[in-house]
This record gives sequence, structure tokens and C-alpha cells, in this order.
Amino acid sequence: MFNYNFRWNQALNSLPQMLEGALVTIEIALLSMLIGISVAILLTVFRLSGSRILNAVATTWVEIARNTPALFQIYMVHFGLGGFGIHLSPYLSLLIGIAFNNAGYLAENFRGALKAIPETQTRAARSLGMSAGKAFRHVVMPQMLRISFLPMTNQMVWAILMTSLGAVVAMNTDLYGVTSELNARTFRTFELFAIAAVIFYLITKAITLSARLLAARLFRY
Amino acid sequence: MKKSLLALAAAATALAGPAFADKLDDIIGSGKLRCAVVLDFPPMGSRDADNNPQGFDVDYCNDLAKALGVEAEVVETTFPERIPALMSGSVDVAVASTSDTLERAKTVGFSIPYYAFENAVVGRDGVDMANWEGMKGKTVGATAGTYEAIWLEGKVKEWGEGEFRPYQNQADVFLALSQGQLDATVSTVEVAEANVKSGNFGGIKIVDKAPMVPDYVALITLREEYGLINYMNLFINQQVRTGRYAELYKKWVGEGVPADLTIQGVYR
Repeated sequence: MFNYNFRWNQALNSLPQMLEGALVTIEIALLSMLIGISVAILLTVFRLSGSRILNAVATTWVEIARNTPALFQIYMVHFGLGGFGIHLSPYLSLLIGIAFNNAGYLAENFRGALKAIPETQTRAARSLGMSAGKAFRHVVMPQMLRISFLPMTNQMVWAILMTSLGAVVAMNTDLYGVTSELNARTFRTFELFAIAAVIFYLITKAITLSARLLAARLFRY
Repeated sequence: MKKSLLALAAAATALAGPAFADKLDDIIGSGKLRCAVVLDFPPMGSRDADNNPQGFDVDYCNDLAKALGVEAEVVETTFPERIPALMSGSVDVAVASTSDTLERAKTVGFSIPYYAFENAVVGRDGVDMANWEGMKGKTVGATAGTYEAIWLEGKVKEWGEGEFRPYQNQADVFLALSQGQLDATVSTVEVAEANVKSGNFGGIKIVDKAPMVPDYVALITLREEYGLINYMNLFINQQVRTGRYAELYKKWVGEGVPADLTIQGVYR
């Protein structure tokens, strides 16, 4: 039934272009994680703050990020904000969309991690004379980040894969964008996307492996 | 003896049948022609108020099926999905405004052209643009995977300034244009006029014709299906000869003369 003759040489000639795209993909994923982690910590602090308004902001963020498709979030960053005259380039739209999604998921991970840290530790820190902020920064947060390290790796992998959604906001320099443009030109669909899939696999594999090595170094007892 | 000869003959026909049947036989045998059509590309393909497929390409699929004496089945695809749909055998042909480039002909089999598009430059009010060259240095975009997108991206690279953005479908391109995310786009004259007229997208205007070779589009099927390609060629010829081509042009595009599908000074 499958009627296709594979011609690899033609597709492999485009490998340098695709690898350049892969670099952009990695760059976006890394930046989106840095932003995502920072915002997620902020959202966690909002939730702990006891302020009703800040708590509502954090809850709304997490609810939207976790319960709507990432595709929708990225599309809204570009066309939704565009409707209000805020014009973001495809690169920024994709980066902000993924960072928004990351922050929502990571905030939820951090909440789970916080539950695993006995509250008595905060009390002990406070009784030693630490301020609430200091107790969070020096006692709770390091443990929270350690507990949620593996979920963070997961989110990083997910961020890499989410870059392929950039096509909806006309992103054409990442791995998926480069591949689909080559496909429109040559119609060598199966070779091109097979190569792209292998590159995606290698990137995510490299991330999980290096995360494991990093964890072994960072979390030695 | 006689019995065994008969059995042999029966076996031979049974074996010979499928061995020589090509796609054309399969279509006639199955009584069904499955066409890939892009349905967010008016006036070539779209959906009516009841969500039924309609448009020039849909009618061409129906006509081809009628000529073959089979039932037509329209399978909606996007531009990039046309090839996987053909290769995996989920459609027989694509009646999907496919530009007949030499690069693509290495992969799929093209019929003779059945339609030709002229392309127009569409700009936004308030953007200073006298003609198509005014696009130089601006942010421009087009529908990903189309002939005009490939052309426009080439131009932006040639100019070395400005930015090219390929949006996923026609509607997103015009949304981005009317929001001001794009300064100009290149689309077929048919699409440009329909969108300017509809008023769905405010503040856009046709600036100029795009100076590219007319975008000849053809029917496609698997590269080795000569029987079917041959049939499609004759079908396209007959559509023009019988006046059906002009009739459908009037129905979907409007008054005026449809594009000449012959090229002066060369065969085919």
C-alpha cells in the first residue's frame, strides 16, 4: 500500500540546514525553561504569600497553562495580543508561549515538592531568627528544586517538543519550521520528517542523560 | 483433463487480473475516486454554510469522477498533507491547486496544468508601498508551502533585508496582515480579491501584480501511474474543449476570461 521510494541523499543534503534549526530549537527550549522556572518560583511565592489577590493570579495562571492546549497558548500570544496592537515576532511569540506553559506546569510541580518538605523545617528556621523570606530561600527552596529536578527535566523535554508548534505563528527557523519548508519545496516528506524525528530524539535523549549526570553530581549526600 | 484446463484458465485470469491492474483500473473497479482537496483555499476549495465541500477543485473532482463513471469522495487535506495522503494510498489523486515545479515532479506525477494563478501583492493601509518592489525591507508573509511563499521567501533572501513569515493557512496570513503584524503578502489574485471584497479583514488593499511566472497548477497522483496521468490529461483537455473550464471559472472566480493553459512556442 505504501508507495514511496526513499531517496536519502537528497534529504541528507539538507542536514546542515536542519541542524541549524535544531540549535534554534534548543535555544528556545533553554530560554523558555529559564523564564519558566523563575516565573514558577514567583508563582509559588505568590501562593505562599497569603495574599488573596496574588494567590488568585497564581491560580489563574496555573489553571490556564495546564488546562488549555499549548498550541492555543502560543497562538493567543501571537494573534490574541496582536489584536490589541502588541506585535511580537514569531520567535518571541513561541518563546513566551512555551515559557507561559512551562511556568504553569512547574509551579504545580513545585507545589507538590513543597508538600514533601515538613513544615516543621520552616518553623525551626524561623525560631532560629530567620525571616520568612530567608527561611524560604535558604531552607525550603533548595529542597523544593531538588525534589522537582526530574519533573523539570521532563518539562525541558516537553519544551523541546513544543517548539514544533511554532509553525502556527509562522516560525520558520526552528527544526520543525526548517523541515516543513524543505518539504514544501521538494515533497520528500518521509525522509525529511524521519531525519527531523531522529534529531528530536537525540536532543531529548541528550537532555535526559545530562540531567541524570548533573543530578548525580548536584545531589550527592 | 478438460476440467483441469478450465481450472488453470480460471487461476490464470485470477492471477493476471491484479498483476496488471493499475490505479485507473482500481478506481473504476472500486467505483470510487478519492480526491485530496484543500478546503481553506477559496475559491478553489472551501466549505459552504452546511459544512459541505465546495469550490472549483471540488467541482473538478466531481467532474473527473463522473467521467470515470464512479462516485467522488472529497478528502480534506492541508497543503503539506497532500503527499503523505497520496503515498499512503488514502487518496487516489490530489485536486489541490498543486504548482507543477520540477523539484516536486521528482516525487509525484503531474498532469498537464488545469488552472493558472496570477499573484497579487496585498498591502495594508498606511504602509507606503507604490508597487511590488515596495515590499523590500518590510515584514512580509504568505501561506506556508505554496508557490507564492517559495517565491516570496526567495525574494526576501535576495534583498537581504526585511523578514519573511510563512503562516499555516490563508486566513492567518490575512489576519496577521490586518492586525499589522505583516506589511504585505502575496496571494493569488482570486484570493486577494475575495478577501478585500469580503470585508472580513479591514484595512487591506491590492497594491500590484506580483511579477512571477504564472503559477500553473496540475492534478497529481503517484509518479508511476501513467494510465491515470494519461486519463487526467485528456480529462483536462476535454474540460477546456467542452467549455466546462470557462463555466466553472465564471461560477467560482467571476466574470472574465480564465487563464490560457497553453504556452506559446513549446509542446505541452
